[in-house]
Amino acid sequence: MTTTTLPKLGLPASVAGLVLGLILAAIGVVFGFIQGLSVPVIILTGIATLGSFVWLWRFVIGQFISSDKREDGPSEAVLAWRQYRAAVFGVIAALLIFLILSLTVEGFFNVWNIISLLILLTIVGLTKSLGRHFEQNRSAFIGIMVLSGLFSIGAMNIEGFASGINIKSMLLFAAFLGIAAVGQTLVALLGGLDLSIPFIIGASNVGLLYLISLGVPPWLAAIIVLLIGAGLGVINGILSYRLQGQALIVTLGTGFAISGGVQIITSIGSAYGGNVFATVPSWLSNLAAMNGSTLGLPIPPAIAIWLLIAILLIAALKLTAAGRYLYALGVNRTSANRVMISEFAYWVSAYAISGFFAALTGGLLLGWSGGGFIGVGDQYLFLTLAAVVVGGTSLLGGQGGYGFTVIGVLVLQVLSSFLIGIGLSFEWQQFIFGLLILPMVALYARSPHIRTQI
Amino acid sequence: MTASALAQDIAETEQAMPNQGGRANPFLLVPITLFFVLLGIAVLRSPSLMSSFGLGSAVIVATPLILATYALMATVISGRGTVDLSIGPLIGFINVTLIQLNAQGIIGSPISIFAYAIAAGAAYQLIFALIVIYVRVQPIIVSLSGYLALSGINLVILPRPGGFAPQFMADWGIGTSIFSPPFWILVAATLAWLLFTRTAFYTHLRLMGSDERAAYTSGVPIYVVRIGAHLISGAFAGLAAISFTALISSGDPSQGTTYTLIAVTALVLGGASLAGGRAGVFGSFLGAVNLYLITFGLATFNFGAVQSFVVDLAYGVILVASLLLTLIIPFIQRHIKNFSPLLYFVVLGVLALGVILHATNDYDRRARNIDPSDAAVVAPLEPIAREAMYVLPLETASLSASDKELRQAAGPLIAGALLLIALALLLRLAISQTDRRSIGAVFTIVVAALVLFGAYLMTQDGWQANETNQVEDRQ
Repeated sequence: MTTTTLPKLGLPASVAGLVLGLILAAIGVVFGFIQGLSVPVIILTGIATLGSFVWLWRFVIGQFISSDKREDGPSEAVLAWRQYRAAVFGVIAALLIFLILSLTVEGFFNVWNIISLLILLTIVGLTKSLGRHFEQNRSAFIGIMVLSGLFSIGAMNIEGFASGINIKSMLLFAAFLGIAAVGQTLVALLGGLDLSIPFIIGASNVGLLYLISLGVPPWLAAIIVLLIGAGLGVINGILSYRLQGQALIVTLGTGFAISGGVQIITSIGSAYGGNVFATVPSWLSNLAAMNGSTLGLPIPPAIAIWLLIAILLIAALKLTAAGRYLYALGVNRTSANRVMISEFAYWVSAYAISGFFAALTGGLLLGWSGGGFIGVGDQYLFLTLAAVVVGGTSLLGGQGGYGFTVIGVLVLQVLSSFLIGIGLSFEWQQFIFGLLILPMVALYARSPHIRTQI
Repeated sequence: MTASALAQDIAETEQAMPNQGGRANPFLLVPITLFFVLLGIAVLRSPSLMSSFGLGSAVIVATPLILATYALMATVISGRGTVDLSIGPLIGFINVTLIQLNAQGIIGSPISIFAYAIAAGAAYQLIFALIVIYVRVQPIIVSLSGYLALSGINLVILPRPGGFAPQFMADWGIGTSIFSPPFWILVAATLAWLLFTRTAFYTHLRLMGSDERAAYTSGVPIYVVRIGAHLISGAFAGLAAISFTALISSGDPSQGTTYTLIAVTALVLGGASLAGGRAGVFGSFLGAVNLYLITFGLATFNFGAVQSFVVDLAYGVILVASLLLTLIIPFIQRHIKNFSPLLYFVVLGVLALGVILHATNDYDRRARNIDPSDAAVVAPLEPIAREAMYVLPLETASLSASDKELRQAAGPLIAGALLLIALALLLRLAISQTDRRSIGAVFTIVVAALVLFGAYLMTQDGWQANETNQVEDRQ
């Protein structure tokens, strides 16, 4: 008997589930008639929709109904309404959007889109209900749910979305973003922000090519660029240490100065006004090209590098003393200072690491594109921030980790591939991207009401 | 006896709280200093800035930036780190929709255009506020989301720059006179904000920005206050979009976006705290003007191919340097007890006026000694980086003969009057400070002496100039 494992649903919850299921089934039936499908198919689909929805509702909601009944206080219906109103509003909104799209876009109403809708609704339902049970890793759970949902929707709707080559290219771009977001994550864990990342990416992109064009051996040039990147990070950290509230602006200022300075250096004595021409060595192109290989495997080394960095960083944050101290500083400076953790050292190191990995991204992007361009990092200005935030690392510090950022990066990458795949132009992509960040963050990163903070 | 004790009590409390009422804001020290330094450099490099034409185009170009900074200021005060990154795309959005609606003939009259721009800005900010209040997501994330969404939809509405501004705006962007419509928009916006600071609502806003919990527990309707702050910000954004449209007199989907970073920078340069609770119209104005002057001053130098890179570099360095300067403010505050930003402004203003008069007169004299057509030309302007796009290429204004004569005659008179006023002010201040234990009095006397010395030098220069002129005239 399943009823013994699941407590019985309250009346309002079952009524709500039934009503929602009926609405869903009715939509299906109406559109079935509009599109002129045969009647038995329509009836079967309607019954199946209703049945599966009600079962799902029963299963999901039933998991988390507390069996003890309260005698006092508001009635059961009011309580249930309070608990589930956000989810109900979300479901109604999703259904409305689906309805409008079906009515306006020709051929929108098909099996795949209905399954996509069901997947989306499932995600919302699961995150609202199951998510409550993950205290620590709630955002990671939701991120993985969103990721798998998006991926399966993409795989169903887009030809070749789940093919090896597409996954490889998604992972490659995710690797660039992921490496660039390493520093942003660490800095955010301390409660800071680093907006100089895109400028350092651009500067190292151009600077590396410039050094190669001067005749410096490429490996030496790469090391020099990485060291300079770390050095710039140190400068960032020292300058912003006393101005932590304004770290956003300090790093923006140093970013402008860095990108201007590098361009001045590269254009002195050059006839091309800041444009550098040189040949990128083959090992560097292999590092980041789509057809690169790692130790014989047909995977671009950039992905392997990202994987290595991710594993090392997650382990370091979890297991080493330095990693735990970083969290301690992020949560409470004063108490961290009391146990002799040097705020200055950690702050500056976080920015140094950020500069280092930004320079690394710039170098890898040089290998990918084969030509230096100062504006190559521009899109990373907000993307690194978005990846950190969507992943679930708090910008206030002390919460999150690089594992979360990896999920955030993957979510952003799959989403953008999906939007490209369904044939949206860049402008529409950006628009939808912007609109989707908000609900994704709202799923888990809502701050408590002010009356609970007093 | 009790009365005297009471009086003593009052005196003690007054002594304990010398800076009540938030009048003395030492964070204005940096923007004021920077303003006059930059103004001096800009005027010395290119005296034509101080002509009617130069000031007129400066007003046109700087107004959208100043208004965008005001829009940011209104939300930044409300706390929670509400730095509205989407302000630039919002300006762009209003700009492109305005152009498209105007092209369709839906709106065209000045009233409808103003109403539309302000309503669009306010509506966006209202949604913003409602999301922050009810969805309870960090405002920076809402603004990030808005940034991406709006900059995407802008390109959908108007794929490439083009279109025409409404007919009545056609001559706004020429900037031949200081008192152009954007100037009056700016004045009206500034006055509106100053009036607003007189209300209890503003006090509530600042309280909420400094400590939201305290505001909530003391019964401030924080939701209403937050929505109000956002509505004001939206109205400023609408005005900024109108003056931006007048500036470029067409539509541009991506140029407005650059205002985000510039306006945030201007706000911080103006001494605002991004954490909330501290921001002012005076500081924001100076911050925005400072940014304009940085770009203007650099545009007068000729760096050839690396011009835009030098602008970037200087921009970043000045930004960081002025932020670092705010660190020494508590130190200064300890030593100069009663710092008054207004007085400081007046004193530096007098000095800067001296520089301006010197520069304009001096350059005129040189202009007559050398070939006039040659000297009137300011350093040619290179195309500027897109970060600096808000500087229009300045055309040089050559002064007519009557203008020159008038300036020659009026210069010493104005300088003399200003000198007398400044000296009187400084002396009054020095006397009022003599009974306090601070170095304020000495400071004012030193400044007064410097002003006198500067005036003496100027008159020496002026007389010599006049004598040489007379000699030349006779020859």
